[in-house]
Amino acid sequence: MLSKNLAIKVLNAALSTGGDYAEIYVEQKRVSSIMLENGKVETVGGSLTFGAGIRILKGFGSVYGYTSDLSPKSMLDLASKLAASFQGERAIEVTSIKKMKVKTINPIEDSLMDVSEEKKIAYLKECYLATKEVDDRLVRIIDAFTNYRTDIELFNAEGPEARFYTNFEERGRLTMTSFAMGENNNLQTAFAGPGRFGGWKYFTETLDYKKKAREIGEKAIMLLSAKECPSGKYPVVIGNGWGGVLFHEACGHPLEASSTARGLSVFSDSIGKQIASPIVSAYDDGTIANEWGSNNLDSEGVPTKKVELIKDGICTGFLVDRSNGRRINMEPSGCARRQNYRFPPTSRMSNTYIAAGKDNPEDIIKDTKLGIYVVDFGGGSVEPTTGEFNFSASEAYIIRDGKVCEPVKGCTLIGTGQEILMNIDRVGNDLALGQGMCGAASGSIPVDVGQPTIRLKEITVGGRGGKLE
Amino acid sequence: MNFKAFFELAKKKGITECQIFFSKSKSTKISLFHSEIDTYTISDTQSISALGIYKGKLGAGNTQKMGKDAFEFLVDQIILTATYREKEDKVGLYKGADHYVKRRTYNKELPLIPIEKKIEDLFALEKAIYAYDPRITDADNVTYTESESSSILENSHGLRLNSKSNYYYFLGGAVARDKEETKTYYDIHFDDDYKTFDVDRLTKKICDSALKKFGGAPCDSGKYPTVLHRDIAASLVGYFLSNVIADKVQRHSSFFEGKLHTKVASSKLTIEEKPLANTLFFSSFDDEGVPCRNKVIVKNGVLETFLYNRETAEKDGVETTANGSWGGSKWSTTIGPIFVKGGKKSFEEMIAPIKRGVYITEIAGLGTGMNASSGDFSCQAEGYMIEEGKLTSPLNLITLSGNLFKMFNEIKEFDNNCKMNDSGTAIGDLYIKSLNIGGK
Repeated sequence: MLSKNLAIKVLNAALSTGGDYAEIYVEQKRVSSIMLENGKVETVGGSLTFGAGIRILKGFGSVYGYTSDLSPKSMLDLASKLAASFQGERAIEVTSIKKMKVKTINPIEDSLMDVSEEKKIAYLKECYLATKEVDDRLVRIIDAFTNYRTDIELFNAEGPEARFYTNFEERGRLTMTSFAMGENNNLQTAFAGPGRFGGWKYFTETLDYKKKAREIGEKAIMLLSAKECPSGKYPVVIGNGWGGVLFHEACGHPLEASSTARGLSVFSDSIGKQIASPIVSAYDDGTIANEWGSNNLDSEGVPTKKVELIKDGICTGFLVDRSNGRRINMEPSGCARRQNYRFPPTSRMSNTYIAAGKDNPEDIIKDTKLGIYVVDFGGGSVEPTTGEFNFSASEAYIIRDGKVCEPVKGCTLIGTGQEILMNIDRVGNDLALGQGMCGAASGSIPVDVGQPTIRLKEITVGGRGGKLE
Repeated sequence: MNFKAFFELAKKKGITECQIFFSKSKSTKISLFHSEIDTYTISDTQSISALGIYKGKLGAGNTQKMGKDAFEFLVDQIILTATYREKEDKVGLYKGADHYVKRRTYNKELPLIPIEKKIEDLFALEKAIYAYDPRITDADNVTYTESESSSILENSHGLRLNSKSNYYYFLGGAVARDKEETKTYYDIHFDDDYKTFDVDRLTKKICDSALKKFGGAPCDSGKYPTVLHRDIAASLVGYFLSNVIADKVQRHSSFFEGKLHTKVASSKLTIEEKPLANTLFFSSFDDEGVPCRNKVIVKNGVLETFLYNRETAEKDGVETTANGSWGGSKWSTTIGPIFVKGGKKSFEEMIAPIKRGVYITEIAGLGTGMNASSGDFSCQAEGYMIEEGKLTSPLNLITLSGNLFKMFNEIKEFDNNCKMNDSGTAIGDLYIKSLNIGGK
């Protein structure tokens, strides 16, 4: 996409005022999407994202610019404009470029880009029928499949020899939403969205897509009879897989260097200190082959890694990008990510999870006298500086005398990350991952969250159902 | 930019009607951290979105890659996507109107003010936040952003419409620490007229709001008379109005199905959409090229109209309300600036009769905590107790829950403190008979 000669010129223009690191990120992304409503093709879409971003670092300072015009004039103009925001003498003259090897940890054998629209439409129709069969009260069912391929070129320079990397990302995601209508316009919805950095076989052979499709039908119907969730402080058991979004929000974001390096996170000075119950260990691992949040290489050219964040309750690591790493003297950990060329990269999660513990999930429920069992969440958010977070449950039940009883709706969990990590008193042995999109400073990116079944001794639950009795 | 070649190619390949949206935007964003420029971002981008009718069906494509292949890519995408669509297009593209209301939407003076002056003001804002109170330990996310965009809508019926606009905003946050407590507050000044920016006013708002939060604790769980800050009232009105979109009604996903011209809220609720009013959110035409007009959506609690584009209007046999929006691969519906009728009392007068209630100033997690169809919601909240008609102790880490539609039926009143917020809703603080608070 960009010639080596032009890359050298642009890097030199960028470094002309004393910058100590310069980078060019070039991207072309093709997206294909199909959406069916009630089994009929509603839209088929295609788009092309194309552009480049240039970043210069000088000490703690950072400048970034992006353009969709990759002509030499436009790229050199942008680099010069950016360089003009620093004052100083050139310290680096780039003279050559070395092509770097990129290890493929996410092999693709059956590219989604080669699958015809007909095949995807037939697949989505099967999903629709599996949901529809569940109950006549399912008034609206939306099934969609989106896949994309991004080709990336990255040039970066810290000395006379610049590095040149090529990388790609190829992902697909099936999303299914069901709407069930009860009496008095009581409309309830359920959602599932399995995704993969991979090919078509995963969706057609590995994933039990019809089962997932039935489940979202059953869940929406179940919610029609759910009672209002109680409010107050209760023990809460959180299911495996998507339940890990709680750790992602409450603890993962505050462990990103974009917060910790600036003293703006509740966990800023926590390395070596106990921040969680001793039964908790947690990781961020961008190297799990073909997982939704995985990557061959991060957005700064650093290979992705498995980063240990918490070991037996002790904080052992942060997620570090190049720019924020400078503030705390930490090496980049391969976690710099961005949505596209319109965002400068920063430290972000990939596949983040609490490691499996020893308990059988059934025992965790059995040992809970009165509490709430949250199977699935709609999502949540956190303020890393105060650690305060919120999550809304999309599937929850009351636990009475060790048994899962009636379903409840409208359930929100709130608390602080610091408190919740210390409050985990049971960790199951059933680790699973779930896929979602995470939004933060560098845009919306695919991530996996995960955990085994866990129990929180006590957490504030908000709902309209009064006290739990 | 000239699109003649696109229209010719589309026609040659059998596309009977087609439309182009071309947009160009430029932006500058500068953030400070510890009295230094931390990030400086500039951008210059273009994109084309195209749609067309092929064999009676709608197809579409988008690209950011300009050049000679762009038109061919778009035409091929229109044909490909139309081929697989199962729905016939019934309305075609809009042919244009005789009159479009015009207003100034581009402030020529803004780009003439040197960037150095804007950076100087940004440093002044950061300095003022640090200096405001010794408990303020960090100024966070102190940012200046300026953006301008221009767009062209052109279709094969000869309709060509242009728009151009710009704006800027200053954003700042204060991190306040006292003993074990950390509190944060962020706020923004958003306009196209640079003269309206006042460092001291924004600083005071940010810092006072952060400092007032110290000592916050949850209250007892229960039902309380609840006053919602106007920004929260605005987002709840947004969810309420999402049910007024005709497309949602036609797809059986709206709470208001079958409720047109009936009472859906308290008679104290009157909501107007005014795209033609003199605001930063002014629109002369919608994405279909139909001239925008002001309208009453809810009058004294009665639902007066649904909001339509040409496709959904045709289905209901009515005129479009000019709320058409191009979603990238299909037509959807958008809502312009909203004005909610205010009450007569000041905030203090409104809360005076409340013996024991809550005033909610911030919420988080409504995006996932709201079921916009059933109206059930639950989210994180903070604010203050109201005791004997006065604001007293701060509240923190509580939950707010209720049902949107029930809530709008239980409006006690709005105060007269109506101000347009950054997302285009002018509304006062809202007093609701009772909502559920989860705390201790």
